[in-house]
Amino acid sequence: MRKNLFCLLWFLGAGLLLGGPAAADDLKGRLQLLAKGGKGAARGADLRDAVIYYEPVSPQPLRPPAEPFLMTTERKSFVPRILTIPRGSRVRFPNSDPILHNVFSVAKENSFDLGLYRKGPGKEKKFTEPGLVRVYCNVHHDMAGYILVVDTPYFTSPDANGEFVLKGVPRGQGRLTVWHEQTDPWTMDLQLPTANPVAARIEVVRPQLPPHLNKSGESYFRRDRYKNR
Amino acid sequence: MTMQGRTRSLWHVWPLLLLLLPAGAVWGQEPRGEQEQGEEAAADEPEKAGPKLDWGLEAKANYRHSDLNRFPVNFPAFKPEQLPPGQTQGFEETVNAGSHFEVSNVTLLLDGTWGTGLAAHAKLDFIDLYERNPTSSDKKFDVDEAWLRFGRETDPALLPERGGAYLKIGKFPKFERQDDRHLESYGLVSTAFNRLEDAGAELGIDLGRHLYLKASATQGNPVFLRDPNALAGDNGTLESRGQTNFDPELKTGIVILYDADVEDIDVDGKLELGGGLGLRFADPAGLKGLDVLVWGYKRTLAETVKLDGTFYGGDLDLLNGPFNLFPFPITDDKKQEVGANVWLYLGGFSFFGQYVDQELAGLPRTGIEAEVAWRIDLPLVWAVGGGQLFPFIAPAVRYSRLDNDFRAPRETPSPSFAWDWEKLDAGIRLGIVPGTDLTLEYAANRFILGSGAERENDEFLTTLRWRM
Repeated sequence: MRKNLFCLLWFLGAGLLLGGPAAADDLKGRLQLLAKGGKGAARGADLRDAVIYYEPVSPQPLRPPAEPFLMTTERKSFVPRILTIPRGSRVRFPNSDPILHNVFSVAKENSFDLGLYRKGPGKEKKFTEPGLVRVYCNVHHDMAGYILVVDTPYFTSPDANGEFVLKGVPRGQGRLTVWHEQTDPWTMDLQLPTANPVAARIEVVRPQLPPHLNKSGESYFRRDRYKNR
Repeated sequence: MTMQGRTRSLWHVWPLLLLLLPAGAVWGQEPRGEQEQGEEAAADEPEKAGPKLDWGLEAKANYRHSDLNRFPVNFPAFKPEQLPPGQTQGFEETVNAGSHFEVSNVTLLLDGTWGTGLAAHAKLDFIDLYERNPTSSDKKFDVDEAWLRFGRETDPALLPERGGAYLKIGKFPKFERQDDRHLESYGLVSTAFNRLEDAGAELGIDLGRHLYLKASATQGNPVFLRDPNALAGDNGTLESRGQTNFDPELKTGIVILYDADVEDIDVDGKLELGGGLGLRFADPAGLKGLDVLVWGYKRTLAETVKLDGTFYGGDLDLLNGPFNLFPFPITDDKKQEVGANVWLYLGGFSFFGQYVDQELAGLPRTGIEAEVAWRIDLPLVWAVGGGQLFPFIAPAVRYSRLDNDFRAPRETPSPSFAWDWEKLDAGIRLGIVPGTDLTLEYAANRFILGSGAERENDEFLTTLRWRM
């Protein structure tokens, strides 16, 4: 009887190990942004603006929060300027300025146009497709924000030194991606756990405010032949 | 109805056409769905290109101070009864000198578009004091612009997505004109050569994204005279005809030769032909851009052109002087211009330059004009009605000069046609709220009289502009 109980406990333990939650580790690393040409550290590019996310080969369940994320128009800027959300999340765009804004994006899979709206709670948009959503205001050219819609629950941003930790990442194969508004996306295939922290050295290739058009696909700086007399 | 009256009435048909075009297009639009109407807090999908009708209003109120200056003219043919009371000699004299408040402009703008392939535009002036052409007794209502355009037209110093072409017909601004303006006043070159609209057809071809062509066949603006400051003078006003010792309220002005407004459709078989070749570069957003255009026009001057508001005739009639007895040294009936434009945009900084070389019935003259401006967006501090209070400030400076390589006849009522002239305009535009701005500017005119003496005639202008 005692022997049978021991066997039962052994099988239960083995079952938990094999069929229960996979083992998880913290994925550590460091990001460096390099000046154009790879010579030295980039000036003016903020490491904290980077987004680092890890996508395990086996998809992980996403649990978008019940409440929407917020991206507020504030003193003619988006706050936060960079927002990372799991796919399926909603984002609300409150206007805390006393002036009209018109938030929009022409992102291929996540386009939207909130129209002109006054100070107040603003409007919502649900983001169902993963990818980068460049967010602009149709009234104010200098306003630019980013929403990174990711297909994984494992994402973070580095500290001012570029160091980052992704907590509770499942062991096994996956892909690490570093996104920064001034660089091309950087990816690395990983087999977790890793013996050493990941080192990402990426070149800055574009200005902070990218050239962009208004929601109609026209320049904000039209040399208007007919209306500007 | 006279022929002239009939042709003039055609201008009144254009706004009707404009209204019909988008009205028809609007019928094709689908109504907003119930679900969309109910979800006020949800984001809309980006607008699809479709028929659109838009309209706007513009009004300007001004404070103007014009220095009083008068220059005697050697024209003994003026009889005593043709001069104002007490005068024994004629003068070229500042238009409406002194300090004045005036509403200079009330304009209705109508626009209809259907995607990028079809556009119609009308600009109807109910008051346009500073554009009044050419005297204060000109008609008050004016169809300033009325045109249809097939195809996409690219603004200066912006890149089209791809090559293409457009055809524009109606009354429209000349393609070499500076329309991205930062001051309310005009330079000497823009006043003399391309300030006012012409009527006809214009073809534009984008040969790829950078190289482009322009071609036009138009009626040609009649050559007339006006003061280059804010107000044109009163020369040959209808009420002065037959009156003795008539003293025009606005005075003659110190005048230059300029291309006046086209008022009637009357090409008389003599079209003005124009062409241009341009090269442009710009970043994708249009924040930085460079555009260089070389261009030319040619037409045959008419013996005379009748203009509303004056009994003086335009074109050769004007150059031949009163009674055709006091001509400028003209040699033929051809009018031709070649010129070059440069537009440069670097963020808020902009430069516009234009050079023109003209042969006007054998009278050679050249002009150069350059404007630099800087638009500085101001931080959000205060707001009114959903708009930022004081959103921007934009200083601008413009230099222009006219060099006339001909002499005036010994006896003429308008010796200033031949004066070499410089004008420096400096001003600042302050955005008050979106759609409303205030421009303060000073115009310093300096010219060299026939005697070689230098004189000045300055003006201060404040403009409160409101747009809706």
